[in-house]
Amino acid sequence: MTESASVSLEGIVKRHGAVTVLHGVDLAIAPGEFFALLGPSGSGKTTTLRILAGLEPHDEGRVTMDGIDVTQRGPGDRDVAMVFQSYALYPHMSVYDNIAFPLRMVAMPRAEVDAAVRDAAVRVRIDHLLDRRPGQLSGGQQQRCALARAIVRKPRLFLLDEPLSNLDAKLRMETRVELRKLQRSLGVTTVYVTHDQEEAMTMADRIAVFLDGRIAQVGTPHEIFERPASTPVAAFIGSPPMNLLPGEVHRGRLSVAGTPLELARHPGPDGPVTVGVRPGALVLSDHGIPGQIYLVEDLGETSIVDVQVEGQLVKIRTPHRPGVHESEAVHLSCAGSAVHVFDRNSGLRR
Amino acid sequence: MKIRRAGMLVLALVVLAGWAFPVLWALLTSFKTERDVLAYPPKLVFTPTLANYSDVLFGAATLLPNLWSSFVVASLATMLTMLIAVPAAYALARLEFPAKRGTGFYVLATQMLPPVGLIIPYYLVLQRLSALDTYSGLVVIYLTFSLPFAIWLMVSYFEDIPREMEEAALLDRAGRVRSLWYVILPQARGGIAVTTIFVFLNAWNEFLFAVVLGGNRVRTVTVAMFNFISVEQTLWAKLAAGAVLAMAPVVVLGLIAQRHIVKGLTVGAVKGGGRR
Repeated sequence: MTESASVSLEGIVKRHGAVTVLHGVDLAIAPGEFFALLGPSGSGKTTTLRILAGLEPHDEGRVTMDGIDVTQRGPGDRDVAMVFQSYALYPHMSVYDNIAFPLRMVAMPRAEVDAAVRDAAVRVRIDHLLDRRPGQLSGGQQQRCALARAIVRKPRLFLLDEPLSNLDAKLRMETRVELRKLQRSLGVTTVYVTHDQEEAMTMADRIAVFLDGRIAQVGTPHEIFERPASTPVAAFIGSPPMNLLPGEVHRGRLSVAGTPLELARHPGPDGPVTVGVRPGALVLSDHGIPGQIYLVEDLGETSIVDVQVEGQLVKIRTPHRPGVHESEAVHLSCAGSAVHVFDRNSGLRR
Repeated sequence: MKIRRAGMLVLALVVLAGWAFPVLWALLTSFKTERDVLAYPPKLVFTPTLANYSDVLFGAATLLPNLWSSFVVASLATMLTMLIAVPAAYALARLEFPAKRGTGFYVLATQMLPPVGLIIPYYLVLQRLSALDTYSGLVVIYLTFSLPFAIWLMVSYFEDIPREMEEAALLDRAGRVRSLWYVILPQARGGIAVTTIFVFLNAWNEFLFAVVLGGNRVRTVTVAMFNFISVEQTLWAKLAAGAVLAMAPVVVLGLIAQRHIVKGLTVGAVKGGGRR
């Protein structure tokens, strides 16, 4: 079993010339945690991972591992292993030599190298492919080879940069489960970069949502889904994401499109707000917010109904195909506990 | 479609014939007597002789020492060039350092000077150093044109290798030097081979510097062949035999490296097209 590290980033600022890519990122990752950095492309998540790896210099802030400042240490001196999006396998070496490479670089005795390589290969089920070259492997096998190369040296920190993005959908689902199992069995602290929220939600112990070079929210998948901290997070998480509608709080009562909404709690001070409801929490009914059916998308198991409310499309997920037709006038309602209220100006949750 | 292919074939043959004509003509001439060479109209059918070859190999005007000189100069120049060019090109392709752009441009700019304009300063410098007509003098001068060329060619090969490859090596605790040695250089093998061959051929074929800065003790084959042309007469057949001998290593190297060279010429044409 490896000794896994706690990792923290403190006030990390990264600039590319005049452009600031990371605006002061703070993160604390516990030992053994599977931590996902989730965000759209260009949000700074990969840059953050590369800073953790020591591959990318940053302008301000510090990186610590187990409380020790490693900011000035090079990538080879941090005891981290990484799986790249492209896998970055050494094309001129066999699978065996690829996996053995990090061990040979620290002059490990031959017999120990051999045992470690075979053990890692068995763990990712490529032990029958050790004589092949990376070019002779399928995408999934290459990915496993990259994983084996990373786990073979038993690093304290394991970094994964969108490792599943080059696999087809079916393989991705399978590998997701295996990767999670592997991480649990190794118990190594893992930082996982992805733009795929489903991946982050299903695999991670905790998620940091990156938006525009800032961490918008850190929490468990459940917390992030159930209590998004701001409208940008709410609009990013969920498929389809949360519906966001302009609303108003007047004398402690919340209304949307002139229709009062019952809330389980007090909506906060009077003023303009943004009201968020997940598509699955909305139902078509004979009372509530008035709207007009725009389109019904049949997804097989479920349907997505698009309803036009005051010029804006609201998505409703229903478990069955609803008996409505386009242009029909309908009303939307939902339970008070499913309503999220955000401050209109700051976008923050109330 | 068939007509078009046939047309392309004919065109290719015409171009090839035009391109190969001087080589074939030299080959033909090298087997003629001096008399047959001067015959007009030119003879295509004649009694071939090996006299020219025996003359330029073992006769009074033997080119063997000159071939050896050429070999020494070209080999030394190539070795030194590659020894310096590979790390220099790697640095230009990968490392960040002050004045990187300026350095890169300077390397290229030295290629833009016409060699003939440099020959007098070179002559004066070598004279000062008592290095005129020496192997070391000529080799150092050859570096001035082969090094920029080699660096420029190698940079494109290094840039073609994914950056993540060496980042992976760095994370695998290989360090800069070992990641260069174990990961980068093996992948740049093709590029190194092509560059080595080009540098060697450039040095082997060089004439201008060799004739002015060398000449007596160090007389390369290109210079020695020039001696077949004098005021009184030009020994065309011997010249041709010498030329064929001088060409032989070029052709052999070309054939060996053909696969690599074709790849080398298209490096960077398609993303990742130069590798594999």
